[in-house]
Amino acid sequence: MYIDLIVVVILLILGYGFGRHAERRHYQSIIRREKEMQGMLTFSTKMPPQDLRISNARLVGGNVVISVDYFKRFVSGLRGLIGGRMKTYETLLDRARREAILRMKAEAQELGAGMIFNVKMETASISKGAKDAIGSVEVYAYGTAITLASR
Amino acid sequence: MKFSNPKIPEGINTSPDHPLKEFAWLLGSVSLLIITVISVLGLMAEFLAARIPFSYEMELAGRFTETTPDPSPARDYLQDIADRLAAAQDLPGDMKITVHYADDEVANAFATLGGHVVIYRGLLEKMKSENALAMVLSHEIAHIKHRHPVVALGRGVAVGIALGALTGVSANVVADRVIGNAGTLTALGFSRSQESEADATALSALVTVYGHANGSTDVFRTFMEIGRSQPLNPPEFLSTHPNPENRIESIAEQIADHDWQPIGTLTPIPTAVIELLEID
Repeated sequence: MYIDLIVVVILLILGYGFGRHAERRHYQSIIRREKEMQGMLTFSTKMPPQDLRISNARLVGGNVVISVDYFKRFVSGLRGLIGGRMKTYETLLDRARREAILRMKAEAQELGAGMIFNVKMETASISKGAKDAIGSVEVYAYGTAITLASR
Repeated sequence: MKFSNPKIPEGINTSPDHPLKEFAWLLGSVSLLIITVISVLGLMAEFLAARIPFSYEMELAGRFTETTPDPSPARDYLQDIADRLAAAQDLPGDMKITVHYADDEVANAFATLGGHVVIYRGLLEKMKSENALAMVLSHEIAHIKHRHPVVALGRGVAVGIALGALTGVSANVVADRVIGNAGTLTALGFSRSQESEADATALSALVTVYGHANGSTDVFRTFMEIGRSQPLNPPEFLSTHPNPENRIESIAEQIADHDWQPIGTLTPIPTAVIELLEID
């Protein structure tokens, strides 16, 4: 009984410590790279404007899987009993979405594209339905990278 | 039409609250919820358990353990006192008290499911008179009269099931474990009010049988002394029967209220039984 409790407390502390550290570093990296790639324009409109002179259009995508830590899962379990905003998962999904877009942008940059249209995202839970498994979230961002024709 | 990607401000999709703050808040409210649910369930279970027929309680006790006591002269002596006290307590017709004598140095006595009372050698050795011993027996019989063991069991099962539901353990497993433990002639935890209810009934029966209340507080005094002389290793009896000071006081009050004779001749424990204890 007490052993179980001690194990849970240790896991919580570990989960919180590592999870918090990883999250902080990830956010720092995301903010830095977003600034770097500010020039790569991304839009959700399906069609590029008519007056753009396009030389090449290609599918680009970025994929990311992030795991929930024990602390987040524990808090979400408590939250599941009384309801409300899943605040601990908000940062997780925010990070995953932004990371996926960054990876997609990076791919477009390698191709020499100038902008990405028709950007869409898919979100999936990796351990869907599996009991007692630490859940992970997958986000896939994809769009059409466009290379502008030089005059 | 102008297309651009403005810089999106930080923190619009997340909440700025510190995760530990949310954790503390959630833990607090969920604990409160659990405590409320468990106490309500516990009270409901106690209410219902007291209405379980005694015959079913005996069956329940018998399912898990051998309930026929080992014969011994000490047991016969204890059973004889118990029968007289049970008669004085006016037990319901179907309620039968079975005394078990446990040849073990543990200084304890307890009542459990199915009308079983267990007296340990360690306790018997420390009793200075039959009256003191009778008070202990009477107290344990009173627990059975008031259905305390089955009420404690009901509470245990309800709390176990509630905790099991929250932690994901099957309710049947929890119930089996709780009932299984209770069946094996072990002490069940009684509440403070149950203890004083049993004391009051016990005292009244003691006076009926012996004509006076002398010796009724001896057992508490004896164990208080032992507890004081060996604070690191207090006798078992004190853990199952807490607050001896308060109980001595309320017994004295009850004696005064009813105008019972506080002094009288103490009946000694028969020499045959004492000799038997010395051999063991």
